[in-house]
Amino acid sequence: MALLARLAWRNLRARPGQALLLLLALSLATTTVTLALAVNETGNDSWDRLHSRTNGFHVRTARSYRLDAPPPATLTGSPAPTAAEVARTHETLTDMAGAAGVVAHSGPWPMLATTGTVGGSRLELFLLVRPTAPEPVGQPLVTSGGWLAGIDDEVVLEDGLASVLHVTPGSTVTLAGQPVRVRGTAMTVSVGRYPLYQPPRVWVSPPAAARLRAAGAVDIGATLELRLADPDAAPGFAAAHGPGLETWQETRAGSHSELTVFAATLLVIGTLLAFLTIATAAVLVAGRMAARSRQVGALKAVGLTPGQATGVLLMEYLAVAMVASIVGIVAGTLFSPRVVRSAASMYGAPQAPPITWSRSAVAIGVAATVVVLATVGPALRGVRQSTVRALAANVRPPRRASRLGRLAGRLGLPLPAVLGLRGVTRRPGRTAANVTGLALGIAMVIVGLALYRGARRFLASPLFAEAGDRAVNRLLFDQLLTIVFAAAALLVALAVINAFVVAVFAARDSARHHAILRTLGATPRQTVTSFVVTQLAACLIACATGIPLGVLLFATAAGDDLNPVDLPLWTYAVVAVGALATYLVTVIGPARILARSPVTTQLTYE
Amino acid sequence: MTAVVEAIGLSRHYPGDTTPVRAVDAVDLAVEAGEAVSVMGPSGCGKSTLLHLLGGLERPTAGELRLGGQRVDRLSEAAWARLRRRSVGFVFQAFHLVDELTALENVELPALLVGVSRRAAKRAALALLDRLGVADRAHHLPDRLSGGERQRVALARALINEPLLVLADEPTGNLDSHATGEILKVFAGLPDTGQTLLLVTHDPRVAATAHRLLGMRDGSIVDDTRLDDGLSRHAVLSQLAGWDP
Repeated sequence: MALLARLAWRNLRARPGQALLLLLALSLATTTVTLALAVNETGNDSWDRLHSRTNGFHVRTARSYRLDAPPPATLTGSPAPTAAEVARTHETLTDMAGAAGVVAHSGPWPMLATTGTVGGSRLELFLLVRPTAPEPVGQPLVTSGGWLAGIDDEVVLEDGLASVLHVTPGSTVTLAGQPVRVRGTAMTVSVGRYPLYQPPRVWVSPPAAARLRAAGAVDIGATLELRLADPDAAPGFAAAHGPGLETWQETRAGSHSELTVFAATLLVIGTLLAFLTIATAAVLVAGRMAARSRQVGALKAVGLTPGQATGVLLMEYLAVAMVASIVGIVAGTLFSPRVVRSAASMYGAPQAPPITWSRSAVAIGVAATVVVLATVGPALRGVRQSTVRALAANVRPPRRASRLGRLAGRLGLPLPAVLGLRGVTRRPGRTAANVTGLALGIAMVIVGLALYRGARRFLASPLFAEAGDRAVNRLLFDQLLTIVFAAAALLVALAVINAFVVAVFAARDSARHHAILRTLGATPRQTVTSFVVTQLAACLIACATGIPLGVLLFATAAGDDLNPVDLPLWTYAVVAVGALATYLVTVIGPARILARSPVTTQLTYE
Repeated sequence: MTAVVEAIGLSRHYPGDTTPVRAVDAVDLAVEAGEAVSVMGPSGCGKSTLLHLLGGLERPTAGELRLGGQRVDRLSEAAWARLRRRSVGFVFQAFHLVDELTALENVELPALLVGVSRRAAKRAALALLDRLGVADRAHHLPDRLSGGERQRVALARALINEPLLVLADEPTGNLDSHATGEILKVFAGLPDTGQTLLLVTHDPRVAATAHRLLGMRDGSIVDDTRLDDGLSRHAVLSQLAGWDP
């Protein structure tokens, strides 16, 4: 075992570039998966911190004064409740506040509905009446300006509302037709952030509530927030005290639902990346097997079993997988607050969640699975070949002439191009892996561009006269675009790594082939052209499949409002040219190395 | 007669741990048109390196080299490639056929590189394959050919542009006696067309088929013997595959 480990370590040290490429590819997958798992925890952490700082509720309710009446057509259109209805509701809530297990409460506090103009946008709003003194439960955390001072023309805006509509303390807004001054902005876990949480909330003091009630604001119900001796007893308490009660666990779970979608999407992307990384790793392993078949032959000649020979290779790549897991766990955890920061539902600046065993196990599992799946097949194939053949091994020659190359010859293409196209089908597995990764990346770019254009057209439509609606949709589109472009960037990054890996091994494979061509009088430029054509052919196939795939994906996933895809034709051309240019830049390095490699070294190797 | 190949003080030194490795050291050599020259010597004496220098596959570190009267030791990589297309044909021990191309396509390749039309290249390639007895294998990939067939295809590829100089590095090293005889028969015909042959070999019987035998040791030519065209050559050749020149 020690001998095998030493051999594995020596092999890794001998080829640090290959190990680094595999590390990069695996790290992309492990980072994405860790990020997906950490995002929710980061959202929870942000909620927990605000809950703790505001001494947040364990159970809360917002009860309507007119439970028995049919719902009004508009929030502000409901008739004012009778004094008896108000008294009955307050009595019920007060009784609840005195129930067993309750250690503190806030409320019942009246809630009014009205319309108003905030930052130039006309909105329906709920006014939450609060005293000027701090409440024992769920006292909103002031984020700018100050808390209510009991003046009848001052209010405090929910932080999300103020930030989306660009209103700051000292500004004037209009509520129920009355101009009022914004004294501050605040947030609390019992009030979600605008625009995801609507109608937006405004805190008003009792004198301000009285003034606005007189101006037309309508009492619609009352709120109550409770702290329990045992927070975990909240679901039982809610079940025992009738409908309309919400526990802190329910509010927390629903507080960042858009992040949950984001996390799920990231998980899908991470899984996709892991699958594609199998292809990258398989190319590396197969390439290594081809290059190392002499070593394997020598090892077998001195008595190593095929299993042990596979073990050496597996050990090498599992070591890389271990490092990639650590990179992924740390990077995913650290990136998580950055990703979450843009989420509209976040209360304050998010912080990185602690590294947990469960998340680490998933990242390690992903990396190890990729390596095992990629290694076992090629390694077993490699070690199964006869020892004599392995000792004399070189790249396995083709058994059939390339039809593509023959067709290229008949079409009268230049000789380097014909020779290049003959090489395309030489490694069908590698070409397929290369094309798949690249095609998916290109497809995601197309989806992103189509979504961006569709979203702009959709948001500009007259459907969104309301600032709130426009803001909500813009946020949702921004998040979707972030996901799609992040997916595209990750897929393209992996495709570039894959293309580079394939090109490096293709350059090695074809070095002898090109050396032969040079003995026949082909110039270095001709051999490089032939190599680049071989590699670009894969990219052309990826463009030809990736662009329609992107259009199809978008047409399938997008709703009626965004369909059909109306990207101008030049966009597809730009994507294709961009992909080809990126690919060219990626493969030109290996091509130049190929051109510089001495002919005689390649020919005497055999 | 005019020297097709002329080397003056031709050297190829590689950096070593303590002192440079003198793979080829100050070789002076002139080979005339239509001459067949064998090079012999122990492994590592610089035979193959000399051949590679003469064909432009390696660059000399010192000395002069002329091919067909033209100084070529300072040519660029691309210029050497263009010169090689027309003037030099290589034959290797390991055949070095392009695996993806059929026998016919391998032979056509040098002709296509010099700009001959596809049709003319195909015609010439088929004629050569026929002359070498492997026309029936024209559409097979190298993997499907025997060693002797591969070497005959490689030879056809080396000869298709009727080069001034044919450089053969252990061309019979991987062949049985019969196949060796077939190859040597083709080599024997080269002087008749004015083509020059430089042949590296370990096999004295193969070396004996040349007009001239060079002995190499430690990168230098230590022996230059002209072989007679009489009994000794005939005896050696007749032992090979029952071939009677």
